[in-house]
Amino acid sequence: MATATGTLPQVQEETTIWTWLTTVDHKKIGTMYGISGFAFFLLAGLEALIIRTQLAVPNGAVVDADRYNQLFTMHALTMIFLGIMPLGAAFFNYFLPLMIGARDVAFPRLNALSYWVFLGGALLLTSSFIFGGAPDGGWFAYAPLSDEEFSPGAGLDFYAIGLLILGTSSLMASLNFAVTVFNMRAPGMSMMRLPVFIWMMLVVNFLLILSLPVITVALVQLVFDRNFTTNFFTPAEGGDPILWQHLFWVFAHPEVYVLILPSMGIVSEVLPVFSRKPLFGYAAIVFAGVAIGVLGFAVWSHHMFTTGLGTVPQIVFTASTMAIAVPTGIKIFNWMGTLYGGSIHFNTAMYFAVSFIALFTIGGISGVMHASPPVDSQQQDTYFIVAHIHYVLFGGAIVGIFSGLYYWFPKMTGRFLDERLGKIHFWLMFIGMNITFFPMHFLGLSGMPRRIYTYDADLGWETWNMVATIGSYMLALGIIVFLVNFFWTMRKEPTATDNPWDAPTLEWATSSPPPEHDFDVIPEVRDRDPLWYDRDHGIEKVEPPSEMHIHLPPPSYFPLLIGLGVLLLGVGVLSHLALTALGVVIVIYSIWGWALEPTE
Amino acid sequence: MASDAHTKGSGSTLGPRQYIQITIGLAVVTVLELIASYAGLGTVTLVTVLIVMSALKFGVVVALFMHLRFESRVFTQMFMLGLILATAILIGLLALFWNDSTDALGGEELPPWEHHGH
Amino acid sequence: MEATEAAHGEHHTSLGVDNRMLLMWIFLASECLFFGSLISTYLIYKGESLVRPLPDDVFDIPLTSLSTFVLLVSSFTMVLAVYAAHHNFPKMMKLSLLSTILLGLVFLGFQVYEFRLFGSEGLNLSTNQFGASFFVLTGFHGVHVGVGVLYLGSMLIGSMRRNGLGPSGGLYMEIAGLYWHFVDIVWIVIFTVIYLIP
Repeated sequence: MATATGTLPQVQEETTIWTWLTTVDHKKIGTMYGISGFAFFLLAGLEALIIRTQLAVPNGAVVDADRYNQLFTMHALTMIFLGIMPLGAAFFNYFLPLMIGARDVAFPRLNALSYWVFLGGALLLTSSFIFGGAPDGGWFAYAPLSDEEFSPGAGLDFYAIGLLILGTSSLMASLNFAVTVFNMRAPGMSMMRLPVFIWMMLVVNFLLILSLPVITVALVQLVFDRNFTTNFFTPAEGGDPILWQHLFWVFAHPEVYVLILPSMGIVSEVLPVFSRKPLFGYAAIVFAGVAIGVLGFAVWSHHMFTTGLGTVPQIVFTASTMAIAVPTGIKIFNWMGTLYGGSIHFNTAMYFAVSFIALFTIGGISGVMHASPPVDSQQQDTYFIVAHIHYVLFGGAIVGIFSGLYYWFPKMTGRFLDERLGKIHFWLMFIGMNITFFPMHFLGLSGMPRRIYTYDADLGWETWNMVATIGSYMLALGIIVFLVNFFWTMRKEPTATDNPWDAPTLEWATSSPPPEHDFDVIPEVRDRDPLWYDRDHGIEKVEPPSEMHIHLPPPSYFPLLIGLGVLLLGVGVLSHLALTALGVVIVIYSIWGWALEPTE
Repeated sequence: MASDAHTKGSGSTLGPRQYIQITIGLAVVTVLELIASYAGLGTVTLVTVLIVMSALKFGVVVALFMHLRFESRVFTQMFMLGLILATAILIGLLALFWNDSTDALGGEELPPWEHHGH
Repeated sequence: MEATEAAHGEHHTSLGVDNRMLLMWIFLASECLFFGSLISTYLIYKGESLVRPLPDDVFDIPLTSLSTFVLLVSSFTMVLAVYAAHHNFPKMMKLSLLSTILLGLVFLGFQVYEFRLFGSEGLNLSTNQFGASFFVLTGFHGVHVGVGVLYLGSMLIGSMRRNGLGPSGGLYMEIAGLYWHFVDIVWIVIFTVIYLIP
C-alpha cells in the first residue's frame, strides 16, 4: 500500500528503472507514451526525409523501388500509430485525471498494460525492417496486392500482427478513459463543465472502441487469406478485394478523426488562456465534436469513389462527407470568436495554436474538394491528396501537439521551454511545412501519382519536387531546434509555480509538476472555468488537513509481464508457434496474479 | 461473501422461479423458430418471422438475464450505441454489396451436391 | 435505480455505477461491432460461392438446435449463479457455476463435432466463401465461449478459497454473467441468421 501525505515537503522520490517498469501512475505512463511517441515521430520523419531526398530530382537513386515502397508504408504507419496516437495518449494520460479532479484513471494497471502492449506492438512492427522487409503495400494494404501471392514476404504479416496488437492496446486504453471520464469526475464537474480537451478525447475513445473491432476482423481475414487458405479477398475464388477496402475504411475514416480531435481539443484549451477570455461557444464546440464523431462513421466510402461504387452510393457518401465539414466549420468560427476581442499574448504555444486554425482550414478546403466524386476522379491517388493529408495531419495534428507541448511543459516539468528557440522552431516548421506541402497541390493537379519511387525528367515535376524537398529539410531543422530547446531546458532549474499562465482548468490547481497524488485536496468545481471563477469570486484554495492519508494504487509488474506475453504471442505467430504458446501461458498466469494482488 | 443484494435497484424482483419461466419461454420461441423454418413459408415471411423471434429472444436475455431493464440508463445507452452502429454498418455494407456487379459470378446454378463422408 | 455504495472498497462514482461493470458494458458494445463485421462478411458472401457445398448441403439443423438449447440452458444456470452470489447461497452458486461451465464445454464439443462433420463432407476454410466466412465467424464465437469457460472456471476456483470471491463477489459474478449472456445472444443471432434463414 502506498500512502502519500500532502503536508510534508516534497520528498524527491528515488526513481529507478524498476519504478518505471512497474508504475501505475498516469503521469509516468503519460510520460512514457510521450517519449516513445516522439521517438517514433522522429523515426517516421527520417523515413520522410529519405523519401523526399529520393524524389528531389527525376530518376533519383537514393533507394530502389522495393525499399521506397517500404518507406512510404512505414512512414504512414509509424506516424499514425506510433507517433500521433501515442502523443495524444500521452497528453490524455497525463492530464485527464488532473483536469477532471481525480487522482488517477479508473483502472491504473490496465493503463500501464495499454502502454506495454503498445510498446511491444510498435517494436514488432518496426522490427520488420530487419526481419525480411517492412510491409510495402501502403498503410491501407489493399487486396489483392496484400495476399500471399503478390506479397510473398513476411512484411504484410508483420503489418497484420503488429496492428492487431496495437489495436488491442488502443482499445484497452479507450475503455479505461471512457469509464474514467464518465465515472470519476470531481464534485461539481458536470459533463458540460468538462474541458473541451476532455470532451474531444472522449469522442476519440468512442471512435476507437467502435471502429477497432472492424479493422480487427479485416486483419484477421487478411491473416487467414495469407496463411490459412481462405480466399476472402481473392477474386478468382469468389472473394472480393473491395470488401477489404470497405472494412478497412470503416475503421480508418473514424481513425483520422482520432488523429485530429486531440489537437482540436488542445487548441481549444490554449486559445482562451492566451486570449485572456473564455472559449467562445463552448456548447457548440462540444456538440460539433460529437457530431464529427457520429458522422465520421457515415463517410468511409469517400475513400473509394474511384472503385465503381455506383451512382447512389456515391451520392450518399458525397452528402455525408460535405455534411461533416459543417461541424468542423463551426469549431473554426468559434475559435476565431475566442480570439476576437481578446488580449492576445503571443507566445510559442499561441503561435502554434493560431497557425493550427489556418493550416487545418487549408487542409479542410482540399478535403471538401475531394468530397465531390467527379473532382476526386482527378485527384485520387495524386499528390493533391498527399497535400491534403499533410495539411490536416501535419498542419493540424502535429502543430496542435506542439502547441500543447509548449503550453503544458511547465506543468509537467516545472520548466519553461525557451521562447526565443521556440519561435525559431515555429517559423522553421511553419514556413518549411508550407514550402513542402503546398507545391504538392500543383504536382497533383499536373498529374503526379502517389507512391511512385521516381519520375521522368520531361514531365514538368522537377521544380516543385525540389522545392518540396528543400521545405522538408527546413522542417527537419525546426525539429532539431526543438530538440535542442528541450534538452537545454531540462538542464535548468524548475521555476514554475502552480499556475504560471493564469489558466482556468484544474490541472493548474496543483504544483508544477504535480505530486504523485495529483491533488492535496480534491477540488470542488463551480464553473466551466473553475480557477477563473474562484479567482473572480475570491474563493481561496482549500488548505489540506494536517493529517492526510491518501491511498495510491501500488505498483505492479503484471502489466509488464502481460505486455511481454502479448509480444511473444505475436512473435510466435510470425516465427515459431511454441513462442505463442509460451506467450499465452504468461498472459494467463499474469491475469491470475493481477486478479489476486492487493490493490489497497 | 457479504450480502450485497441492496446494490441492485429495487425493481429487481426476479428469482429462480421467474428465471425458469423466462428460460422456458425462450426455449418455446426457439421451437417456434424451428417450426417456422420447416413450415414451407415464403422467403420474405419466413425471414421476417425469424428476425422478429430472434430479436425477441435477444431482447429478453439482454433486458432480464443481463438485468439491463433494472440498471442505470447509462448501461443501456452504451450497449445500444454498439448495437445500433453495428446494425447500421451491416445494413450499409449489405446495401453496397447486394445487387452489385459481382452478382454475375457464381450465378449459374451449381451442380447438385453429392454427399460423401457421413 | 442507482446502485448504492455497498461493498467495502467501492468508491463514490459520478454516475453511481461501478467502474468495472461500466467497463464490461462498453466492452460489449465494442464486441457488437466485432461480431457485426463477421456476420456482415458472411451475408455479403452468401450466394457468392463458386463451388459447393453450400449451407443446405451440410447443415444439420437438429444437431445445431441441440447445441443452441445447451447454450440457452447455460444462460439459465449462469443467472442462477449470479442470484446465488447476491443472496449468499455459496453451494448453489458453485453448483450453478459448475453447470454453466460444463454446458459451455458441451456446446464447444458440439462445435468441434460439427466442424469435423462438415470437414469430412468437404467443407473447409479453402473450399469456398461459405466455408471461409462460416468457420471464421463460428470459430471466433467458439473462442469467445472458450474464454468464457476459462473466465468462469477462474471464478469457480476463486470461490473455493477461504474468503470465496470476497465482499464484491456478487458484482464479479454479475460481470462474468454479462460476458456469458452476451456470448449466448451472439449465438442467438448466428443460429437464426446463418442456420435458419435460407
